[in-house]
Order: sequence, then C-alpha cells, then structure tokens
Amino acid sequence: MKKIHIIILVVIAISIAAIMSTVADSSTYATFNVAVANEGDEYHVVGKFVKDKGIEYNPQQNANRCVFYLKDNENKELKVIYNGAKPQDFEMSEQIVVTGKAEDGVFIADKILMKCPSKYNNTSDPSKTSTSKAS
Amino acid sequence: MDIQYLGEHLLPGQLGNLFLVLSFTAALLSSIAYFFASNQNQLENNSWHKIGRAAFYIHGFSVIAVMVTLFYIIFNHYFEYQYVWQHSSKSLPVRYMMSCFWEGQEGSFLLWSIWHVVLGFILIKKTGKFEAPVMTIFSTVQVFLSSMLLGIYIFDYHLGSNPFILLREHPEFMELPFVKVPEYLTNLDGRGLNPLLQNYWMTIHPPILFLGFASTLVPFAYALAGLWKKQHAEWVAPALPWTYFGVMILGTGILMGGAWAYESLSFGGFWAWDPVENASLVPWLVMVGGAHVMLIYKSRKQSLFTAYVLMILTFILILYSTFLTRSGILGNTSVHAFTDLGMSGQLLVYLLFYVFIAAVLLIINYKSINADNVEDNSTSREFWMFIGALVLLVSAFQITFTTSIPVINKLFGSNLAPPTKAVEHYNSWQIPFAIIVALLMAITQFFKYKQSDLKTTLKKLMVSIIIAAVATTIAVFTLEIYNGFLIALFFTSFFAITSNIDYIFKVLNGEIRKAGASIAHIGFGMILLGALIATGKSRVISQNTSGIDISKLGKEFNNMENIMLAKHDTLQMGEYFLSYKGRRIEGVNHYFDIEYFKRNEKGKYDLVFTLSPIVQTNPRMGNSAEPDTKHYWYKDVYTHITYAEMEPPEEAGHNHDDENGYKKYASATMAIGDTIFGSKSLIVLENIYKEVDSLKHHFNGNDIAVGATFKIIDIHNKTTFAKPIYLIKGNMVSPIDAEVESMGVKLSFKNIHPDNGKIDIDLSEKDTGSQEFIILKAIVFPFINILWLGCIIMIIGTVLAIRERLKKSRLNIA
Repeated sequence: MKKIHIIILVVIAISIAAIMSTVADSSTYATFNVAVANEGDEYHVVGKFVKDKGIEYNPQQNANRCVFYLKDNENKELKVIYNGAKPQDFEMSEQIVVTGKAEDGVFIADKILMKCPSKYNNTSDPSKTSTSKAS
Repeated sequence: MDIQYLGEHLLPGQLGNLFLVLSFTAALLSSIAYFFASNQNQLENNSWHKIGRAAFYIHGFSVIAVMVTLFYIIFNHYFEYQYVWQHSSKSLPVRYMMSCFWEGQEGSFLLWSIWHVVLGFILIKKTGKFEAPVMTIFSTVQVFLSSMLLGIYIFDYHLGSNPFILLREHPEFMELPFVKVPEYLTNLDGRGLNPLLQNYWMTIHPPILFLGFASTLVPFAYALAGLWKKQHAEWVAPALPWTYFGVMILGTGILMGGAWAYESLSFGGFWAWDPVENASLVPWLVMVGGAHVMLIYKSRKQSLFTAYVLMILTFILILYSTFLTRSGILGNTSVHAFTDLGMSGQLLVYLLFYVFIAAVLLIINYKSINADNVEDNSTSREFWMFIGALVLLVSAFQITFTTSIPVINKLFGSNLAPPTKAVEHYNSWQIPFAIIVALLMAITQFFKYKQSDLKTTLKKLMVSIIIAAVATTIAVFTLEIYNGFLIALFFTSFFAITSNIDYIFKVLNGEIRKAGASIAHIGFGMILLGALIATGKSRVISQNTSGIDISKLGKEFNNMENIMLAKHDTLQMGEYFLSYKGRRIEGVNHYFDIEYFKRNEKGKYDLVFTLSPIVQTNPRMGNSAEPDTKHYWYKDVYTHITYAEMEPPEEAGHNHDDENGYKKYASATMAIGDTIFGSKSLIVLENIYKEVDSLKHHFNGNDIAVGATFKIIDIHNKTTFAKPIYLIKGNMVSPIDAEVESMGVKLSFKNIHPDNGKIDIDLSEKDTGSQEFIILKAIVFPFINILWLGCIIMIIGTVLAIRERLKKSRLNIA
C-alpha cells in the first residue's frame, strides 16, 4: 500500500468522526411538551414572547436572571428562566429561540437568540412611520 | 385613474433599469461570443473575440452606471425608491451612506458584480491566449449576478430583486392607503440604516470581503479554462499570483469582519463560529490549501488533479456560502444572516450550474490530467505541503458540515439544532487541526523538494525548537495555561514563528524580497498565537456582586458575567475599581461614562482611564450596544453595556435621607461586642475610645468627643473598619459619620448612655432602588495585539510573494 492510500484512509476516518461528533453534539429543535417530558436534555425551543405576562428582571437583586413566558409553536406556554442580563429590546423580538433544558416544569435557558422584526418582512405602512415620527 | 404624485424623481430609476437590462444582455452576449471565440483556431483577434470583448466592456460600464445611479438616489434621499427608504433616512450621516448601498442584498450583489467587472477588465488586458475561455466563465457568472438584480417576472417566476423599484409599486406596499395620496412624499423619511452597520468598519469591511469573494473567480476561471481547453500545464502559472491575491484579500476581509465584531458588536470577542463567519472562512481555508498544491505542481509537476479540485471547490464554496447566508435557510441559527428575498431558487441554480460544469469537465479530463502521483517520499517538501493542504481541507469540511445543519434538515427532513456549545464544538476540532497546520508551517520549508536528509533537516530546526520550547514553558507558568491542547498549540505556533524567522536568515540570507512565504507564515503563526492567548486566557472581570448567593440558584447559574453598577457607586472588578459617572446623550447615542480606578501604594484611587460604551437607540430596529475598549500593548480592557434603562430614572436625591443616596436601614443600642445586621453586611462594635484626634476633626479641648470602632464584614468576607465619632462642639451635638463607600454603608454615632456604656447607632445603606444603574460586562483580553500584528505581517508577506511570483512569470515569458 502506498502512503497516499493510508493518507486517504486517515482523511476519510477523520471526516466520518467529524460528522459523528456533529451529530452527537447537536441539539434538537423541540416543543415545550417534549422538553418537559425529557427533563434535563438540551433542546432548542422556538417560540414567541408572551407580552402580557411581561418580563421579570430585577438587576438590583440579580443582574443575571430574567424570567418570562414563552409560547411555543404548539401554543404551549412555559416559564423560562434565563441566566443572563435582559437582552436589549427583548420586547420587540418577533421570534425567540431559547436553548436549555426543562427542570421542575420551568425551562432553564442558557442562550437566547432573538429574531428582530426583519428588514424585509416588515409590512409597516411607510406613511404611518413618518406621521408617528412627526407627532 | 392615474394619480399625479408630487415630488417624485423617476428618471434615475428609469436609467437604472435601463442599465440593469443592458448589463444582463451584454453579459449574455459576451459569454456567447467568448464561448465561440474559445473554439476558434486562431484564438485572438477573431470576430467573436472582438464581440465578446466589446460586450464585456458594455456590460462593465452598465454595472458601473447602475452603481452610480444607486448612489445618486441614496445621496439625494429619494425615498420614493423602496431601497432608499428601506436602508437610509434623512438623519443618516453622509459617512454611512456607503453602508446603505450594501446593506441590502441587491446592493451587495452589485458590489460583488462590480469587483468581477474590475477584475475582468484587468484580465482582458493581461490574460493573452487564455482570454477567451477565462472570460467566457467570467461572463456567465456575470449573467447570473445581473439576473439577481433584474426584478422581472418571467411567467409567474420572479427573477431577481430590483433595487430601483418604487416604494408605491413594491408588492408589500401596493395595497396600502398612502399609495393613493399624491403628496405622500412630503413627510416621508426612510427607515434608517441598521445601527450595527453605522460603523466605520462597515464602510471598509464589505468592499474588501466582496473583493475577496470576487478574486476566487479568477483561479476558478483559469482552472475551468485549463480543463476545457486541455491546457493542464499552462493554467497554473498565471493563476497562482491571483490565488495569492485572493488569499490575501479574503483573509483581510474575514479578519476585518472579526475586528468589526470585536469593536462594535457586543458578543465579547472577535470570532464566535457564527455561520456567517464560517461561510467566508471555509473557502479561504480551501484556497490556502489550493495555493500550496498549485505551488507543488509548479515545482514538481505533481498533484495537478488536487490543484484543480481545490481551486474549483473554493469558488463553489463561495457560492455555497452565498446560498447559506442569503436564502434565509440559516434563519434560526444565525443572528446576522439575510432573510430570503425569494431568490434562494435562483441562487441554487447558480450554484448547481457550476458544480455540474466543473464535475463534467473533471470527469472527462480525468485521464488526460497526469495521474496524481503524490511523491511517496516523506522527507520531501511537497509531501508535507500536500499533507498541510489536506489538513486544511478536512478542517474546512468539519466547519462546513456543522454549519450546514439547517441544510441537512431540509434535505433529510431531520430536526437537528446546532450544537448548544457551538464554540466548544468547533474548538475541539479546530484546535488540533491548527496544531498540525502550525507544525507543518514550521518544518516544511526546511525540507527540500524531492527528498532531503532527515538528520540535517532536524539539526537546522533545533534552534527554533529550543527557543519555542523555552517560550512555551515560560508562558505556561506566567499565563497559567493548563490545557494540553492549548500548550501544544502555543508551542507549534511559536515554533512556526521562530523557524520561519530562522529560515529567512539562514536560507534566504535575509533577502526580504524572496521571503514572502516565510513572512506570511510568521503572520499566520502570530494570528494563531494571539487568538490562543486572547481567547484562551480572556477573563471576565465583571463578576456578580449582588447580595444573592449564586450557588443556591443551582449549578446552572455559575456563569454570572454581568454586573450592576449604580450611578456614583464604586465596585471592584479584578484589579480595577469601577465607577459609573453618568450618561451623555448625543443624538441617537447614549454614552455611558465608566471610570476605571486603580489603588496605588498609598491606598488612594487613581483614575486610570474612562470607557464610554454606547447604546444606540433605534425605535424601529431595536437598540444596539457598542462596546468600548481600552487598548494597552499587552492587553485590552473591553466593556459593554448589557442592560440599561433608556429613560434614566429621576436623579437620586428625592427619596433619600441625604444627598448621597443613603437611607436609614436600622438603629440599635449597642455594647462592645454587639452585632448589627445590614442587608449585605454584618457590623460589630469593637471598641469605644476617647482619644480622638482633635486636629483632624477640628475641635478643641472644651469639646467632648468619643469615637467608636466598627468592624464591617460584607458578603464577600471582606473586612473594613469604620470610625464614627460622637462630638459635642460647644453646646451642639454634631456627630461625624463614617462612610464606607465601597460597601454602601454609613454609620452615625447618635448618643452615649453613660450609665451602661452603651451607644446609639444609626446604620444607613446606599439605596440603589430608584437610582440610575447600568448592567455591564467587562472582559480582559491579554495580548490580542499579537493577533492584529499577525494579520498585518501576513498581508505584507503575501504581497511580497505576489510580487516575486509576477516577476518570475515575467522573466519566464521574456
């Protein structure tokens, strides 16, 4: 066997290992029902911030804890505890992806990704934005 | 019924559209003409060739005209155009107008297209016999890019997105009532530029990055031309300097993106393995590998097939990354991907077209390309260069695969989400790859082509190895690097630097002109070293100091990296004492002035520097925080606001017992040894004494003064002493309070009970409740300047290598 064949085999082996590690390290998109049923497993949950329940954030007590409710795509609502500072303009977000796990019926998130009102999908009336600015 | 709209400027749009159509048709004509010209026996100066050239010139000037028109309507605030309305506003400073141009997808496609035109113009002049086939490829690419901007309907299919569409004719707004108002323009203002892009980096980073993208087309076009015209031996030499150019420009563009993220985004670092970052890194890695394999071919006439594959792959990966970032497929995984403009189908066709053509050409030519016999001699330079290229390829594959999770989901209907700990995931693979690459950079130049004597090679490397080993040992202990992989990477990247310096002096006799490759390698070694130290040893100095025991909240809550700082309050952070002085509002920017103090030997606080991180308000797109960084040569102190009330609460003082914001918390009658509890502290009366310094406190012998010593222990077990004084001056009781600023505690000595020796004490605490405060995060990045310096050195090295390469090819021709 020539060296090049050994090298090719090694390259293939490393590539397969890389694929497997990606699959192993990857998380899963799920709904709250799945997350609650499998407490302790890491999930990504996509949902919307429940505006009327507000967000609880008392930086005087703890700057790294905010609590809010999220409604997932199956319309299930769950309390989310995020251990970080409240993201800027949290209320404006259109869609939120929280990463973390369920624990005792609440979702403990260690990462939040917000989708802000998109530049392209915003159907706001241009004339309205200009008048609201004037007033 | 036609409405006569007031104040519209329709001419620029009509001109713009005219040039768009012209650029598309001219590119089409040019590619057809050049295609036929390529099949003529006499390659130059046949009539197809002339038509192709003329058509490409017309195309190029049309693209430039489109660009000028788009700039014109942006600079004049013609909000009747949707693109202008969407991306700018009247209040936008002129210096950011360039950024408006490429904020939207249409503008960034245009930018990309312009660079192709510029490169195409140069190639027409310089390419010689390769002109017709190379320009055929160029023109077809321009057909695709121009079609992205057409914005016409072919039956029901919407082809491209037009930057000159009028606001009132845009599908989203057509039905809205304002369309019926003739004077809708009078009060109309644009939506404004995304605040994140209002930054000088965003004026220079996109053009450089797109030039990098565009430059990958040149070696790709040469490679396809080589396959097509069976010029396997000829394409490499002219394509090589262009490949170096691409490596340099794309590398610069990527690192500038990192610098932008570091200077103005608030994720706390310069690299986060975000899909958008990965999408531009991957083609660069493959192109670097390809450049080395082309060099092998130039020197040893080997590995031609691999050179073809890598240079083709580089361009295909650019298209793939364009597809990833612009099709909206990354939606839930990246913060700054574009959303779909309905062009994902078109992008996919563009991508698959070239995959198909390249694959067919490679298969047809497989036999005519000399069998890819890699030199089996593992003491040859080409062997290790080839291994290096393979490592880069595998590294690129690993990044691509994980980044492509959303694509995999689409293809296989799976439901995978990206790794939760993405940075750790990528690092666990890429650090070992980096170790190998750095090692190869260190040793490969010392091997000779064909074969070399292992012993003498090792002997030559010995000095560098020893220096690197000593440096690593010192670094491990001074910087406290205790991770095996990081220690290995420190060693190999340091070794890469020392051995390349050694090579310049020993082998090249210090001839800098010829040392391009070595200098570029030194630069890359420094980038790895700087990244390793700056990120591996970065310290978050803003730790939670709130009164709550963090550990009680569970182990999930141990990464408390944000700290609350109330106005005029001082908190210790690492070696610094931070004080929030207040905010300044300038236009849309809120500057938060934070003073950094250090304690000197005398126990006094010296102001070292002031940082003013910004929160930029933007009611429509959300506020954004921009960090501020103090740069030292050996470290950066980085601070950004994670949270702030944008409407500051009323100034402190109204609800407080005194002007310094103290509020009475408790009163007690205490004997020596008694304890009083504050909300965050425990206060013990240690003693009562009569020997009060009369000079210091300005009283005379007739006055009565008694002092008390309190020991204060706060929740961090920090101990301080406070000495309030009870003073009767003349007939007036005027106690002197003792304030402990750092703990927000004040003690007042109110009365003495001579009968039992007890004293009355008021405990006041700083009230943070209604006071203005900010939440911030502060990180120290040690030695990050090695990284930036490495970038500059790598660019210089590549420029030298290009110059040397061009000189050689000129000599060969002559």
